[in-house]
Amino acid sequence: MKKIIHHIRLYIALFIAKGAIFFLRLSGSGGTSLPGKLALAIYPDILTVLARKYRIIMVTGTNGKTTTSRMIEQILKENRIDYIANKSGANLLSGLTTTLISDVKMNLKSRSHTALLEVDEAAFRLSSKYMHPAVLVVTNFFRDQLDRFGELYATLNAVRDGISRLPDTTLILNADDSLCASLGKEVPNSVIYYGMNKLELPADDTWVESQDASYCLYCKAKYEYLFRSYSHLGHFICPQCGYSRPEALIQVDKILSLSGEFSRAIFYTPSGSFTAQINLPGLYNVYNALAAVSFSEALGFSHEKTIEALSCFESGFGRMESISLGEKSIQVILIKNPTGFNQVLSFLKTVENPAAISFIINDKLADGTDISWLWDVGFEALAEIQDKISRFFVSGIRAEDMAVRLKYAGIFTDHITVEKDYGNMLDDALEHVNSGETLYILPTYTAMLDIRKILKKRFHLKNFWQ
Amino acid sequence: MYQISICHLYPDLLNLYGDHGNIQALRKRMEWRGIDVSVHSVSLGEPFDPEAHDIVFIGGGQDYEQDILLNDLLNQKKEALFHAVEGETVFLCICGGYQLMGRYIKTGSGREMECLGALNHWTISGDKRLIGNLVFSVEGLKQQPDGYIVGFENHSGKTYLGEGVTPLGKVVHGFGNNGEDGYEGARYKNVYCTYSHGSLLPKNPGLADELITLALKRKYPDFVSLQPLNDSLETNARISLIKRFTRK
Ligand SMILES: [Zn+2]
Repeated sequence: MKKIIHHIRLYIALFIAKGAIFFLRLSGSGGTSLPGKLALAIYPDILTVLARKYRIIMVTGTNGKTTTSRMIEQILKENRIDYIANKSGANLLSGLTTTLISDVKMNLKSRSHTALLEVDEAAFRLSSKYMHPAVLVVTNFFRDQLDRFGELYATLNAVRDGISRLPDTTLILNADDSLCASLGKEVPNSVIYYGMNKLELPADDTWVESQDASYCLYCKAKYEYLFRSYSHLGHFICPQCGYSRPEALIQVDKILSLSGEFSRAIFYTPSGSFTAQINLPGLYNVYNALAAVSFSEALGFSHEKTIEALSCFESGFGRMESISLGEKSIQVILIKNPTGFNQVLSFLKTVENPAAISFIINDKLADGTDISWLWDVGFEALAEIQDKISRFFVSGIRAEDMAVRLKYAGIFTDHITVEKDYGNMLDDALEHVNSGETLYILPTYTAMLDIRKILKKRFHLKNFWQ
Repeated sequence: MYQISICHLYPDLLNLYGDHGNIQALRKRMEWRGIDVSVHSVSLGEPFDPEAHDIVFIGGGQDYEQDILLNDLLNQKKEALFHAVEGETVFLCICGGYQLMGRYIKTGSGREMECLGALNHWTISGDKRLIGNLVFSVEGLKQQPDGYIVGFENHSGKTYLGEGVTPLGKVVHGFGNNGEDGYEGARYKNVYCTYSHGSLLPKNPGLADELITLALKRKYPDFVSLQPLNDSLETNARISLIKRFTRK
């Protein structure tokens, strides 16, 4: 009898969640967490039941998890693997549940056999109670939204704790990040490390490097670096206890070019080397590609398909998204922490003519309620190229704070427009862009959702869940 | 030409919440007035010379990193820092830096970590993080006649003040020192301590100018006052937060 009631509750949960997904899509709101929340409330174990039906690939870490997931997705497509993925940044437990529910039929049969899930690094520990991924990719650990997650080391330890429940999962870890690499120490799992070989890098003068992890995780001595790519990533070695960058199985041996649109690099893998073009700018995306290549290698996919996937790859939800308006265009780039922001600024420095830049800063929970990290970003780099930029716009809940930040970075105050109304800001900004030029919009997470709604209305963009 | 030297203590360890903004505000607001500014970092293993600097800044850090520097602070810099405090050098100590200036920090496991003891306050680890926007009022702040300071706090330690130390202000919105007695920060001689981290000084130019004025008066007895600046962006940022959190 108890078993039957259990079953009935499971079906009710499934039915209600599916109904919610249907109505949310109908209303065009693209809500991705509510259906999962409802299902979890009615049948808390639903995720365990559903997760058993899939080969699960998980991606977590502070930066680049969306881009890495999209690259892996492209690799799955090239290899004709049917899969379901949580595409729209619905990376908490409720979002994962919604994703799986939308794929299973009412008879509990799944349409796909592989699930590619991007998981928030703070939600990962909880998720490990319900799902046992075949592969877990961890990108890196940077300071991010400290007020929500507590401190960086607490996040790292939560991920470590989650992994301890998953001894059969293959771990794909960033060897160049002393924090991420430590996850592979003394665990029974099979571990694949990726990283950059000592290589020549273009000089980057963006900022005093952030110091997220300059001291040894084990003995607190200051790391020495034989090679540094950016921030705390590189070939670290602790002079006191000897903790050092593990040997990487998958490496980038050489970067052939880094431009405003793409990068070309030589990848080394145990099955041979190859050159690939990564259809996204920035050194950080070379790391994301490394993670994706490691995944390909773990599953034994061919190099040709991987190369194809990296070169035809389209950017993920709002991470770096272009909208062409005939002569002019708009590019939206999500910003969420100092390291990511600095990378975007060094990208803007490579752009020939960044006509107008609009910063939209919110301080809601999903953005991080503490915006003091704006002072850890090297906007001073923008002051050097301000003669190329016709106007700076600031908007969002914290527009005024952002204006002050730009002023102290050396941007002339009469080049800064504070405009809280997104519509007006967009009109005004597009007037400052000539044909052939681009307006760059740099929003925080919830600001991106808002600005995207307006862009969607005006320029008929795709829906969130597509 | 007036010359001011700023010392940033442990910038590689205590740099958590946009502390750079405070240094940048001091630097820019002096440069805009034609005052010559230099900023010096003093970190682990490097000596602190109490005669060399006019303003000392200590920021916040993760607990993990505070551990590393306690040794260095107590064994290598204690006397020199005492000397500077008693000699009325201007100090701005924020969050972790604030706690380190006091007598001790009692951790969650009951361990008492000895701190500098330059000020008579102490910190006891709480089980709840005190996080959020912070508004507090300070008496007698020129240029910010309403007396309101805006910022953001994020600490689990609860700080209590002993004799000889006065609170920096009264909490209007947020938690402040301990979330209990309604006070925020500490003052002793020219030492200013607060839990308001990050862009404290850029958004509160009146406080920035007060620190600069104190430093100039101490070094140049004939110095009278700073020339005013156009602070409209700063004031807008401050006022918008006061309105949002105090309905004033
Ligand atoms: Zn070590």
